[in-house]
Amino acid sequence: MSLVADELIRFSSVLRIAYNFLTGRDYLKRRKFREKKKLISVGLPYSDIVYAFPDLVPVLPIRMHEFNIHKYLTYLGSASNVFGWNSVTNFLGFVKDLGIKDVSKAVDDIIENVIFTINEKYNEMYDFGEECGIPTDFCYGVKSLYGMNVSKGKNCDANLNYTIRCSAWNKYLESIKAIGHSSEQIWIEIPPRNIGNSLELLTDNITKGMEELEKLSSYSYSDNTFRNHLQTTNQMRQAYKDILYEVGTSDFYPCNPATFCEILALLNISFHDYNSNAARFRDNITSLLKEMKGRVAKGIGMDVSKMPKILITPMFGGWEPKSHEIIYELGGRVLYGDWDLLLFLEQIPLSNRTDPIEAYAQFLMNITTNGIGCDNNTLTDSYVRIAKNLNADGLVFIQVFGCHSISNCYTMLKEKIRRDLEIPSMALNFNKMGENVEQVRTRLGAFMEMFRY
Amino acid sequence: MQNVEILQEYYLFLREKKEEGKKVIAFIAHDNIPEELIDAAGFIPLRMMFAGNDELMDASHDFLSPSTCAFAQSCIGAFSKKPNYYQFLELIDYFIVSNHCVSDICASEIITNYFNISRLNFYVSYTKTENSLQYFKLELEEFKKQLEEIKGSTIINDDLKKSLKNYNDFKKKLHELSNLNTKGSQKLGLLQEALLYGPKILPKIEKFIQNNKDSQILNNEKSVVLTGCSIFFNDYLNDLIEEGGGNIVFFDTWIGSNYFSQILEDTTIESSENPIDLFVLRFKNNIFGDHSVPNFLSNKVSQIYELCENYKKETGKKIGVINHIIKFCDHMSIMSSHLKEQLQSKGIQVLNLERDYSRANRGQLSTRIEAFLEMM
Repeated sequence: MSLVADELIRFSSVLRIAYNFLTGRDYLKRRKFREKKKLISVGLPYSDIVYAFPDLVPVLPIRMHEFNIHKYLTYLGSASNVFGWNSVTNFLGFVKDLGIKDVSKAVDDIIENVIFTINEKYNEMYDFGEECGIPTDFCYGVKSLYGMNVSKGKNCDANLNYTIRCSAWNKYLESIKAIGHSSEQIWIEIPPRNIGNSLELLTDNITKGMEELEKLSSYSYSDNTFRNHLQTTNQMRQAYKDILYEVGTSDFYPCNPATFCEILALLNISFHDYNSNAARFRDNITSLLKEMKGRVAKGIGMDVSKMPKILITPMFGGWEPKSHEIIYELGGRVLYGDWDLLLFLEQIPLSNRTDPIEAYAQFLMNITTNGIGCDNNTLTDSYVRIAKNLNADGLVFIQVFGCHSISNCYTMLKEKIRRDLEIPSMALNFNKMGENVEQVRTRLGAFMEMFRY
Repeated sequence: MQNVEILQEYYLFLREKKEEGKKVIAFIAHDNIPEELIDAAGFIPLRMMFAGNDELMDASHDFLSPSTCAFAQSCIGAFSKKPNYYQFLELIDYFIVSNHCVSDICASEIITNYFNISRLNFYVSYTKTENSLQYFKLELEEFKKQLEEIKGSTIINDDLKKSLKNYNDFKKKLHELSNLNTKGSQKLGLLQEALLYGPKILPKIEKFIQNNKDSQILNNEKSVVLTGCSIFFNDYLNDLIEEGGGNIVFFDTWIGSNYFSQILEDTTIESSENPIDLFVLRFKNNIFGDHSVPNFLSNKVSQIYELCENYKKETGKKIGVINHIIKFCDHMSIMSSHLKEQLQSKGIQVLNLERDYSRANRGQLSTRIEAFLEMM
């Protein structure tokens, strides 16, 4: 059993988040067929307005798939229904300590494979996307999303489509219609720049999107429901940020750094749709933060003060998941903070706005203007900002094959990092998970040499 | 006239204009950029419409990844390598950073950052809702302000209307040119020149139309519609098509109908109180532009289908479609399989021709084009 798996089972909240992600298929089937709720397909963390309607469920389409370890997790889930999650994880820890092999082995398999299983499915979707005709030109993210939509899009009543600066993304969204499923296409245009009354226009675009969703729902839109949801997400955004900054930048980790990265990767993936249940995700992430802090307070964990902090980014569009393990083996620790970099972890300004849609529009406009940016100058500033905030010692930039948007900012970014931060950086090419692990190892090995003295 | 000579002549033309104190404003995206505003400000609009080669594409890799649109790569390469035939690029004063596609943003930004050219911004909405049109108007007003700052005075509405009318008439003439039964290479050459020089070249176009208005359909050649990406200056693609026995009868590309079909009624121009609204109207009507979502594909399929049907009715000849996809083009590439499938289901033969500007591609392209034409 890997150290990663050994550590993970100590966090019951991680187990819950993993369980919720991987058993999404059953959860969504239940909600769709038994509870007569409607599924709305989303991509990137733009799912919030779906939560304004209690009978609509946002879903990142990959979660409608069956994952290989599904059976074990079902048993675990059943046990937790009876005994509660904390009891189950305490029990698992106890069993492991006793060394009862069979039970322990099953648990090992589950935990160790959480990220692997998700990534394996992503790869499967990537291959399927290509088989279904998406040109090889496109990035890992778009190909795998396309595969997900072809395979599972028929289960959704609508796709929620936000335009962003990436033209491949916008055209991918348009292509969903051509797949031939009967789902509605709901479009919300985010103005590329914040000029004139564009914030008002965005507010109105969101309102119109809400109206489209309202037609699918048997509920009417209510400010209160949406406000409550946004408050929930503000709590989860804060907890996410605290995990990243309070725990991630400290000298003592509640687990080993590779485990910490597995958790960050899991949070990153789950954040797209909050695993279709925002309140549950909020509860899990806040309890995760609490568990982490509790462990640190008890001195359980690992001194990482001598390990250089390496920011690996962007990873949301695909990255080599072995990277953090390799860096850990090489004496470093990795942080993944894409959503904070793009400002998705900022608070939605509810306190100074009576209309929650207005507040949400302001939040999205801030992401567009200051996070993703309408050009690479702004985007590279975002990278520099997060590297600075995390006090990173080095930055590994993932240059995704076929990414014509973010990957092309590296020349500019390299200069800014050298000038403003004076830390080493490198670009790491990526095409598909698991494809070039040895090459990644060699390149990261050379990079980490810089931190030896 | 050969491309090199045209470009050399264009250099002299631009230099003369610069000596008169005019500014040159360049841009990569052809679609939706309000060239009449640039013209009304007394400046020269310059479209990037120059094909690349291995050397130019390689030169861009210092700035962006090789998995970027080959045209965007070539644009950067042209500034980086400064080949003699693109000497006129030295005369550019401003470059517009626009979001036609993300490669447009990246390449334009790189050109302004690393080649010491001042930047102007002009961003375009993706959808065509009322709010998107309002946003487009905001961008137009911002762009006008940027031009006025450079000019040092306001752009007068009458000048803008005059410019709109001038370009509108010019496009009508290009439409006539497109309808002639002449070789595709002749049309393409003139269209390229027209988009480079603008209405200044009108007499030449008129003369050509006059001389060729009675041309007959070329029966021994396979008729083809070119859709997708444009054939730019210094590109050999049209030669390959003609060598293979084909003839492009309709250019459904930036350099082609996408430009000259964007015509306004004369009365609309004359009666307009605010000419900026005319740009908004034109943007709204531009439903075949590849930038727009979510109906680009369905509009494009209907447009091509209608075009092919009309051609068959008028000439009794079959017509095929070559969908030209410059490698890593976001807009054309992702829709290509759907476009092909949908047109083929309507009985129209389609060749999705993907390529970059490398020399090594030539043989393969030639074989594919010949096979397609033979199949027709």
